[in-house]
Amino acid sequence: MHASISLPVSPARQAEAARNARDARNDRVFGWVLKACALLVLASLIGAAASTLWGGSDAFRTFGWGFLTSDAWDPGNDRFGALVPVMGTVVTALIALLIAVPISFGIALFLTEIAPSWLRGPVSSAIELLAGIPSIIYGMWGLFIFAPFVAEHIKPWLMNTFSDAPPDGQISWLVQHVPWIAKFFSSDYPFFGAGVLTAGMVLAIMIIPFISSVMREVFQTVPTRLKESAYALGSSTWEVVWDIVLPYTRSAVIGGVFLGLGRALGETMAVAFVLGNTFKFTPSILETGSSIASTIANQFGEAEGLQKSALMALAFLLFVVTFIVLLIARLMLRQLGNREGR
Amino acid sequence: MTNMNEAAPSFAATAQTGKPDNSQFPTKMTVRDLNFHYGDFHALKNIAMDIPEKKVTAIIGPSGCGKSTLLRIFNRIYAIYPKLVATGEIVLDGENILDAKYSLNRLRSKVGMVFQKPVPFPMTIFENVAYGIRHHEKLSRADMESRVEQALRSAALWDEVKDKLKQSALGLSGGQQQRLCIARGIALKPEVLLLDEPTSALDPIATSRIEQLVEELKNDYTIVIVTHNMQQAARCSDLTAFMYMGELVEFDRTEKIFTKPNKKQTEDYITGRFG
Amino acid sequence: MASSHIYAKRRIKNIVAMVLSVAATAIGLIFLAWILWETLSQGIAAIKPQLFTKITAYREEGGLANAMVGSLILNTLGILIATPIGVMAGTWLSEYSLRSRLGPIIRFLNDILLSAPSIVLGLFAYTIIVLPMKWATNGDITFSGFAGGIALALIALPVIVRTTDEMLRLVPSTLREAALSLGVPQWKLTVQILIRSARSGIVTGVLLALARISGETAPLLFTAFGNNFMTFNPLDKMPSLPQVIYEYTKDPSPDINTLAWAGAFVLTMFVLLLSLTARFAFSRSKVSHD
Repeated sequence: MHASISLPVSPARQAEAARNARDARNDRVFGWVLKACALLVLASLIGAAASTLWGGSDAFRTFGWGFLTSDAWDPGNDRFGALVPVMGTVVTALIALLIAVPISFGIALFLTEIAPSWLRGPVSSAIELLAGIPSIIYGMWGLFIFAPFVAEHIKPWLMNTFSDAPPDGQISWLVQHVPWIAKFFSSDYPFFGAGVLTAGMVLAIMIIPFISSVMREVFQTVPTRLKESAYALGSSTWEVVWDIVLPYTRSAVIGGVFLGLGRALGETMAVAFVLGNTFKFTPSILETGSSIASTIANQFGEAEGLQKSALMALAFLLFVVTFIVLLIARLMLRQLGNREGR
Repeated sequence: MTNMNEAAPSFAATAQTGKPDNSQFPTKMTVRDLNFHYGDFHALKNIAMDIPEKKVTAIIGPSGCGKSTLLRIFNRIYAIYPKLVATGEIVLDGENILDAKYSLNRLRSKVGMVFQKPVPFPMTIFENVAYGIRHHEKLSRADMESRVEQALRSAALWDEVKDKLKQSALGLSGGQQQRLCIARGIALKPEVLLLDEPTSALDPIATSRIEQLVEELKNDYTIVIVTHNMQQAARCSDLTAFMYMGELVEFDRTEKIFTKPNKKQTEDYITGRFG
Repeated sequence: MASSHIYAKRRIKNIVAMVLSVAATAIGLIFLAWILWETLSQGIAAIKPQLFTKITAYREEGGLANAMVGSLILNTLGILIATPIGVMAGTWLSEYSLRSRLGPIIRFLNDILLSAPSIVLGLFAYTIIVLPMKWATNGDITFSGFAGGIALALIALPVIVRTTDEMLRLVPSTLREAALSLGVPQWKLTVQILIRSARSGIVTGVLLALARISGETAPLLFTAFGNNFMTFNPLDKMPSLPQVIYEYTKDPSPDINTLAWAGAFVLTMFVLLLSLTARFAFSRSKVSHD
């Protein structure tokens, strides 16, 4: 063999010192540049909060705390309150959760415990495809296809069952015996599909892929030996999921639900068409309403003065609320991240 | 296999430190009072050893004994992670390499390292070897080519790759990749070469090629090899250090360690009674 | 006797749960199929050559050419701005923040930015770009493609940061150690070895970010605003496909609604193809997008 490398000559100390200094400097500068970029993430969040707070300061100053509790939205007289859009945002998001959480749980259960393995890949890709569809498409589909469907098939049934002015004229037993229920299901336009419920349903479809993929992922982190030992005791699939998997993954599952909630609260385009954009305060989920994001989308372009500021103030509220919801979501999900480790 | 019998130095291990009296060999690296902490964990305890020049020193011991940790202090690679603290001194050619003032550039050009799993860079075979050199020296194209060839020859890889130097290193077999990593290390012309279980991911044939290579390389380099394979230590080292629970139990001529060790712990380990 | 009763009850409970679970999956798939089917059938029916050659100024007689070009420009701007920043920020998180307490905080906040309402990010871009430009040019330049690009970049940024961070952390640490043990400085190691190793994963992240911003409407309404004419000037008001779909959906004219469906079809195909490419072409580097 040719092991003929001569022994190293120690390089000139001076050149070496220069190189050390150069390396150290380059490394430092490189690190700073990278860190500056990372700080931009921080700056974006702070900037989004600060710019909407600044933009909304006029409205906050003019209306004070009353801004939060007033149901006025009257550009003609420059009177603005956040109550109706905030209510609309919260109610649509809650309806979405009510529908999406059980469905997502069912999907996650199907994908982790029930489906044969050849089916799992295709089905989960298909569900995730839902997340890839742009929200404006949900909005269009909601307006042109789903709202008429709701008007034709869902709303009449709901009104016949729950409202005190049913299209078929027969007030149901339920309405007769439960005094307040009709308030939530009244509608001035029985054949109009847009409304809070419709918006909530469209949102539900949008957030299903987010919640179900988090649930599926966390269900998969449950150690097989844990599930196997439960099966070995004779547990059924449902019992394993309910007694072992869910308690084991509880906080991450809640995190996934909050993640979906955050999405639903901030969504604009999916609800902009099907909510109706009216500012009448009503408890009915069959009535039209408005949400923070859809109000901004509809009005900001033409708004001036105090109205613009009120919209900015709404955006600030939305940002703070979603920030808190997402903060909770991520804190809950962190448990999962830690378990996976680096 | 090894030539340790020719020299036949008389080691009288000082029982207290497990440090051999190696006055017969010139010392390359002197370790004194070396302690290593990982957070609250005291990983290495008062290590003291003299690593002789141009010999192969093997470090053996059960997993978790700190043998890899010790090796990773010799070129301060541990320092890239937080919470790791080494105290004491390691004197290389008269200077303490643990001194913060000791330049990492110099240390790493003097002390090369080869890892457990082959880690070729995602570039061509030629570039893999040239990459490190470029950082330390400015060479002409021709000089660089001959330097790369030299390194690949020393790593006994030249004949296998000379026609595909421009191909990606990721296409080589595991054993070839590991020899490439050795070539990459010796291309910097280091004085000390650290091998961290270099054959644990390789098949027996690739392993014996690497062992052969170690045998040849010790003419030019001081080699420290960590291995979990006792036969490997017996086959290719001149001195063997046995570590247990973060302590250096015994350090002596390989022949002595494997035939009549001073410590019972060493004997138990060698004979397979634990670990 | 009693125990067989328990068994039957448990079995029925289990069967009900299984049936509901399958039904839930079916519901999800039905809605996916429904939405895709409507977009496809209504869209394909509305596809005609002038869609790609004429601009929106001709209304019913026109097409969406200016909107498509505008979308391309806006998306390119957004990605060009977000990619270098996002890759560098992700690299800092993965490679440099080990000793910094800021690292985990920024990683955490980036995940929040990832799901933040895009309309608020649009208002942020409005405040920092549109308003100052309006002020500086005495109202000559207000809404602009550039502002739209910034808004989209704000949305793409966290996606790229996260995938870069995740992909780099998948690179085995031995590669870092091997390079550092040759005395290579960290910046060289990062640029020449780590980013190169994680390249396909990072590209996946950029593609996913592109898919994400291609469908964004809300943040463009008050930044790029829209334009009925073809423009290539990023300082002009600029139309985009989602924004035109938005306007055309609200329009009372059914013919205009039809054009909106055509736009929806083109947009959906583009976005889905993009995310499929990102997913399958680089399927070995797994990326989560939530």
